Amino acid sequence: MERKVLLAENQPELGSALRKALGMTPADVAFEVRDAKLQGRGGAGFPAGVKWVLAGGASGDRKYVVCNADEGEPGTFKDRVLLEKYADRLIEGMALGGYAIGSDQGYIYLRAEYPYLVPVIEKAAAEMRRKNLLGANILGSGFSFDIELRMGAGAYVCGEETALLESMEGRRGEPRNKPPFPVNAGYLNKPTIVNNVETFCAVPHIILNGAEWFIGLGEGGDSGTKLFSISGDVERPGVYELAMGSSIGELLDLAGARDVQAVQVGGASGRTIKKGDSARVLSFRDLPPGGSVIVFDSSRDMLEVLENFMEFFVHESCGQCTPCREGNARLLHAVTALREGDVCCQECLQPFIDLCDVMAVSSKCGLGQTAGNCFRDMVGGFVELPLECNCEGGDS
Amino acid sequence: MSRDCMEIVAEGLREYGSGRERMIQLLTKVNEELGFIPPEAMIGIAEALSVSAAEVYSVVSFYSFLSAEPRGRNIVRICSTISCAMQGQREVLEAVRGELGIEVGDTTADGRVTLETTACIGLCDQAPAMLVNGTPHTRLTPEKARGIVAGLK
Amino acid sequence: MPGINLKVNGKDIMVREGVTVLEACRQSGIDIPTLCHHPDISTAGNCRVCVVEVDGSRTLMPACITPITPNMVVHTDSPKVRKSRKAVLELILASHNSNCPECVRNKNCELQELAERYCLTDNPFQTMDKPESFIEVSPGVVRDESRCIMCTRCVRTCEELQSVAVIKPMERSNHVYIGTFQDMGLSEVPCTQCGQCINRCPTGALYERSEIGEVLAAIEDPDKFVVVQTAPAVRVGIGEALGLPTDHNTGQMAAALRRLGFNRVLDTDFSADLTIMEEGHELLFRLKKALVDKEPVALPMFTSCSPGWIKFIEHKHSALLPNLSSCKSPQQMFGALAKTYLAEKEGVDPSKVVSVSIMPCTAKKFEKDRPEMRDSGYQDVDYVLTTRELARMIKMAGLRFDRLPEEPFDRFMGESTGAAAIFGATGGVMEAALRTAYEVVTGSEVPFPGLNICAVRGMEGIKEADIPMPSKMAPGWEFLAGATLKVAIAHGLANADKLMRMVESGEASYHFIEIMACPGGCIGGGGQPIPTDMEHRLARMKAIYAEDERLPLRKSHENPEIQMIYAEYLEKPLGHRSHKLLHTTYKARGRT
Repeated sequence: MERKVLLAENQPELGSALRKALGMTPADVAFEVRDAKLQGRGGAGFPAGVKWVLAGGASGDRKYVVCNADEGEPGTFKDRVLLEKYADRLIEGMALGGYAIGSDQGYIYLRAEYPYLVPVIEKAAAEMRRKNLLGANILGSGFSFDIELRMGAGAYVCGEETALLESMEGRRGEPRNKPPFPVNAGYLNKPTIVNNVETFCAVPHIILNGAEWFIGLGEGGDSGTKLFSISGDVERPGVYELAMGSSIGELLDLAGARDVQAVQVGGASGRTIKKGDSARVLSFRDLPPGGSVIVFDSSRDMLEVLENFMEFFVHESCGQCTPCREGNARLLHAVTALREGDVCCQECLQPFIDLCDVMAVSSKCGLGQTAGNCFRDMVGGFVELPLECNCEGGDS
Repeated sequence: MSRDCMEIVAEGLREYGSGRERMIQLLTKVNEELGFIPPEAMIGIAEALSVSAAEVYSVVSFYSFLSAEPRGRNIVRICSTISCAMQGQREVLEAVRGELGIEVGDTTADGRVTLETTACIGLCDQAPAMLVNGTPHTRLTPEKARGIVAGLK
Repeated sequence: MPGINLKVNGKDIMVREGVTVLEACRQSGIDIPTLCHHPDISTAGNCRVCVVEVDGSRTLMPACITPITPNMVVHTDSPKVRKSRKAVLELILASHNSNCPECVRNKNCELQELAERYCLTDNPFQTMDKPESFIEVSPGVVRDESRCIMCTRCVRTCEELQSVAVIKPMERSNHVYIGTFQDMGLSEVPCTQCGQCINRCPTGALYERSEIGEVLAAIEDPDKFVVVQTAPAVRVGIGEALGLPTDHNTGQMAAALRRLGFNRVLDTDFSADLTIMEEGHELLFRLKKALVDKEPVALPMFTSCSPGWIKFIEHKHSALLPNLSSCKSPQQMFGALAKTYLAEKEGVDPSKVVSVSIMPCTAKKFEKDRPEMRDSGYQDVDYVLTTRELARMIKMAGLRFDRLPEEPFDRFMGESTGAAAIFGATGGVMEAALRTAYEVVTGSEVPFPGLNICAVRGMEGIKEADIPMPSKMAPGWEFLAGATLKVAIAHGLANADKLMRMVESGEASYHFIEIMACPGGCIGGGGQPIPTDMEHRLARMKAIYAEDERLPLRKSHENPEIQMIYAEYLEKPLGHRSHKLLHTTYKARGRT
């Protein structure tokens, strides 16, 4: 169900959530977010409030708040829209995070593809500072918090939170081994919360209206609303805000999807579903909703789509761990082989399907763990193997 | 005439300090001003940040937007991700290649334009799209893209 | 200490807190395969060969980096684990140049061993083109990218153990490779040629530049007089390199070299004793200049035996070059004398002398080509072979090393003392120097039981010791009466770097510092048998000190051939001929 909160025309007064929070204890702010069951809006869905509670309890002479504005999942642009229009809300959400965990310094890690948003964010921050909602002694409370903008340099993997931290520390964006988790040892080895743009944007609403209200926004046990960027074969591509737990069919109707063959939910690393699956829900219970939904009509060659995705993963793997570095290249090779008939039967295909399983369980980070999803889904559901198998019989 | 790269590094060090975590900011600054990061700049940054030159080169080589090789005065990045690919990206790319007379990854002989493809730039609702020196151009047609590229100085 | 209980493969085990799953399993006798893990360096968790199943975890966990938690339930050999491990190994092999018979690490390769263990005979990913062989040769170290499996052990070694950091992963995804700044050759960057990367490479992507062919040709040439010297650490490494238990095999080694056809089998230990004479007196000379003459002189003095260390200081701390002892390394002292003194003694034309050294080291291959090392009028040392190369020659010649008799070295430059033997272990040069210098200035032996100066021994990264001088000194050295000689020792260039920073900042006030580029000293050198890790270094160190104990003479100045060469040829330490042949100068090199 379409339900506008983050994208509502009438937003609560800027700073009102911060003002309210400053009258609460930091721990209560973190508990409120935890109780709202706000799952990370970047795609992994880890409960944001749990991070806040853990980071709040972690010991460290300094703590940091990091906003992951590195949305790079193919087909995602919801954070761009939020940054364009609601950068001030985002910053307020970050300040709430700072207050909750005891941090005076926040960073927005903005992807290099969005340089035109720099002045927008800087203007919002300046306005916040002017209103004493950011900077020293916010609203006379004694709580100080400021932010700094840090630019990415073109690497999808930096959307993974520990790769992002590595990048912020001036290194290659190679995901770290966990544990330790960022809440204990994040930026510069200090307790750090890393949350997505949309996650931070939801926080002021939660503080103002309470956890119960936020939970009530969701459908079927899910909490809050969720933004979806929809593109591909739809009449009205764009960003839509729906109750979390809405069905995929509702979103497709809103955007005017036509002649649907397949829908890619959650970007290249997400799942591919068929036309008949429109009752499936956008929820971490079913189809993890990162924010990207791409619609393919019946004219689309899904092998071409798969090739595009695998090329993407081959380009964007950090190259650190074996399954992802080598596995993606092998899967791309298998796509070519499928097209050329060199992989022609289930028997030829099986090692690559097995490879997807191995990548899912043995890769170091989410990139490698999810890169095989599209291969498995598309090869399993959309790609027809030749009727005649030519791998046996001798004439090659 | 562009500034001496060491002057840019020195300015960056004044602006950001010489903490290890400032490396990408320093590199980006040089990269933005010169279009690439010359070896002397990498060595200068390595020494200021007390890391090896290999480390700096390693970081530069990791990121798509940083370059150790000289590039054109203008960088055209055409999105090659699926939503753009579905809306005629291939024809746009063909048109731009034809206009410039170069392949993807190359720079025109006069140093005017470097042509690249890029992963998703988050403009899927206005596909096909490209970034020209960081500025987005959307809902491209071959004619529109050709015109934009032709107008680059 | 409180233990932690966990269940591995259905069996309850108890381990101490803070260990990883890998350590816990290995302690309990369960082997987990690894490739990117090496006990000397940090863990990376990259290769994913060591994955295990942990109950409650969605994904498999890398055993090398996953800490043990109470009541953890681990499966190291479940079908899921086997399937993943096998696939990961298949992926590695599919893009690895696995032409094993043509690889220097054939039968001593961690990847090959795992390929055998997991029966990788039918690799489904063997469909893409293999990487092309890309070989880069530097004086000591050769890299073959086609055999690299991106475990980054070399990268971590170079950075963490040596603080050199000239090799790093470049690019990303499957284009990733181990490279240098601007893809320059190792000889164009501040690589010290220490070869520690070779010792940690699980495959044949890194190895020494071999000179076996040249040496065999020289031996075959009837016109050449081929002399060979063997470094102290080789005699405790050669047996290991041939698959035997670690021991000091000095006699068999001499016998093997003789059977390989060298005209004279001589000993670097002889020139190690000579180094002590020269370096010990140089230290005393500097102390006298500082304390008596009140002249400016560079102190602390640093040892100069380790060519990897020399290249390191030339690159990274060139302001401290005056502190380096001007003594050449024992290898180069030997080389300069082989084509002068020895040629004279043997009555051969020095132009016909081919001087070969067997070293635990790859940096020695660089050192012998330095333009400074031609004081005999010829290149002082012609060829350097590592311990591993000598083992190959012995195998090639069909010699059964374990059945060889123990034979002595040849005369003139073959006699040595225990002081020289311990040059092979960290702290050894210091101990040897103290045994002699102390006696020179006090007229009596060092006041330690059995001459063993235990304070300077052992594997601690930076060691220091205070050596108090007695009140009664030998004539001429009274100015040292009651003084305390402060010494320090570092091994591994990262420790050396740390110590140099302390010297530069004035935080450290020592008189004499011993530095060895390699962890453990030469026993852990880049030319030593693979694997080299703490366990092996300790075994070799033990063998080195056993060699010291075994020898009748334990102090360099008591070596009769040393006494002879001073009497007949060099006159005295730091004398005119010594200066010409045994001392050298250094040059600053680029920092980055």
